[in-house]
Amino acid sequence: MTEHGFYFDSTRCTGCRTCEMACKDYKDTDIDFNYRKVYDMEGGECSLNADGTVTNSAYCYHVSAACNHCEDPACVKVCPTTAMHKDAGTGLVLVDDTKCIGCGYCHMACPYNAPKVNREKGYSVKCDGCIERLEEGLKPMCVTACPLRALDFGAWDELKSTYADAAVGNIAPLPSKDYTHPHLLVKECNDAKQTGDMAVMVSNPLEVM
Amino acid sequence: MGLSTALSEITLVLFTTLAPSGALAICVMAVLLLMRPGDAAQRRRLEKFLYIPLIATMAGLVASATHLGNPSNALYTFLGVGTSPLSNEVFAAVCFLALTGIYWFCSFLPLRSAVVRRAWLVAIVATGVAFVWTVAFAYDAPPIVTWHMPTVPLALFANACVGGPLLVAMTLRIARWEQSEGAVKGGSVPVLYAGLAWASVAGIGLSTIVYAVQGVLLGGIQNYVAAASHLVPGYWGMLAAYVALCALGVFFSRRAARRCVGGCDGAQDGQAGDAQGDQAGDASRDERSPLSGHRRIAGDRPCFDDVAALACAFCGIFVMRFAFYMMHMTAGMGL
Repeated sequence: MTEHGFYFDSTRCTGCRTCEMACKDYKDTDIDFNYRKVYDMEGGECSLNADGTVTNSAYCYHVSAACNHCEDPACVKVCPTTAMHKDAGTGLVLVDDTKCIGCGYCHMACPYNAPKVNREKGYSVKCDGCIERLEEGLKPMCVTACPLRALDFGAWDELKSTYADAAVGNIAPLPSKDYTHPHLLVKECNDAKQTGDMAVMVSNPLEVM
Repeated sequence: MGLSTALSEITLVLFTTLAPSGALAICVMAVLLLMRPGDAAQRRRLEKFLYIPLIATMAGLVASATHLGNPSNALYTFLGVGTSPLSNEVFAAVCFLALTGIYWFCSFLPLRSAVVRRAWLVAIVATGVAFVWTVAFAYDAPPIVTWHMPTVPLALFANACVGGPLLVAMTLRIARWEQSEGAVKGGSVPVLYAGLAWASVAGIGLSTIVYAVQGVLLGGIQNYVAAASHLVPGYWGMLAAYVALCALGVFFSRRAARRCVGGCDGAQDGQAGDAQGDQAGDASRDERSPLSGHRRIAGDRPCFDDVAALACAFCGIFVMRFAFYMMHMTAGMGL
């Protein structure tokens, strides 16, 4: 099996949502759910000093995240039907809709907020790494669409050697990588906070939940 | 956000309210049947009324199935036995309910081997314990930080101890356990009913402590989207409602026991006097219980207190199960 994963450069991302919308268009997802989501992270404050000057520590950065096709995915572990599985060839985490019962346990267990049950279809839906494009030698639609080239995708070992200065998903709001060992490399920007630093919060929860 | 999560899983709230108490009640009744092998009439009556806790358990399970997106794939659930906690739960439920259902069905057959019957009861107790255990740990996954806590299974066990004994007490009264010759002569009925009530009180005490600890722990949990305590803003009020409703449930159950045991003092008189009563055409003695079909003791109100006891206790448990689903949160960025 050749594991595959994503690379995300937070020094480039402007939070434009092109990745999100390209995926939405290509996968024709429902209006209330995206496979890829952009999390706006905000922290700090502006305070007025006694001498009339302003001290500004406010900051903002963006994290574009989808399924990270983890090495040890929580969704696969808890799935009662084995519908949620790792593809034997690519390592991508996929849903077998002929087996899925739509219980929603994968949604509850995933710390990356990736799968969700589509009530109309009756089964879980999520990012599949555009596996049909991968078979044609193409990158996933979100990667191709990104105008800042902040996203990349590929075989995990190659990705790690290409982006040697990036670390495995370790910035807020991503959870500790120890839960699932995600296949996500992140190049962090100056304002990015490390996972575990609770000084920063997602400022667009209604958009991404 | 917590409210919408709990509302979307409302059938699971119902399942986890009813099923553990129903399963514990079945286990307790199975133990009672194992302890009194000699009293055949008493045993048969109790066996027939096993359907009451069985329905409570199955109603929860059927309700939980309605939240599935595609129930027609349900048989695939067995593929995950041993790896998925949800598969383990479903497997234990199927084994337990099948064993209990078949036992109940066979109670209507005239001839049964005592050895097989006792072995079957032991199997029911074993699978019942396994079922409650798997329900308690069904959602125990490390990334779900608010559910991966020791308080979660403890609270579920304690809830079963609150509702289960009240369900047993009601079933015994409907089955006219107190009119059993052995039970009355042995003077065990008041002790048994008192024991069941005390078990329920102990369950309320334990669960209150566990829920209080859980409430304190929730205050220290947050991810990058929300704080756990903000997902259940009325947690302490819900806990107060839980304690009040469950205590009211025990009160009603005790009142039912007092009426029943008071009536039992005259139960033998009542049984002996049935013939006279029939001859005399006494209207009050001809009155029959709508649930059991048995003759009702004069002055015995039909099941009202027992139904009220269960309604209160299950409402209380439902409130805290609702709070449980409200507090769902993963590490990182999931709600």
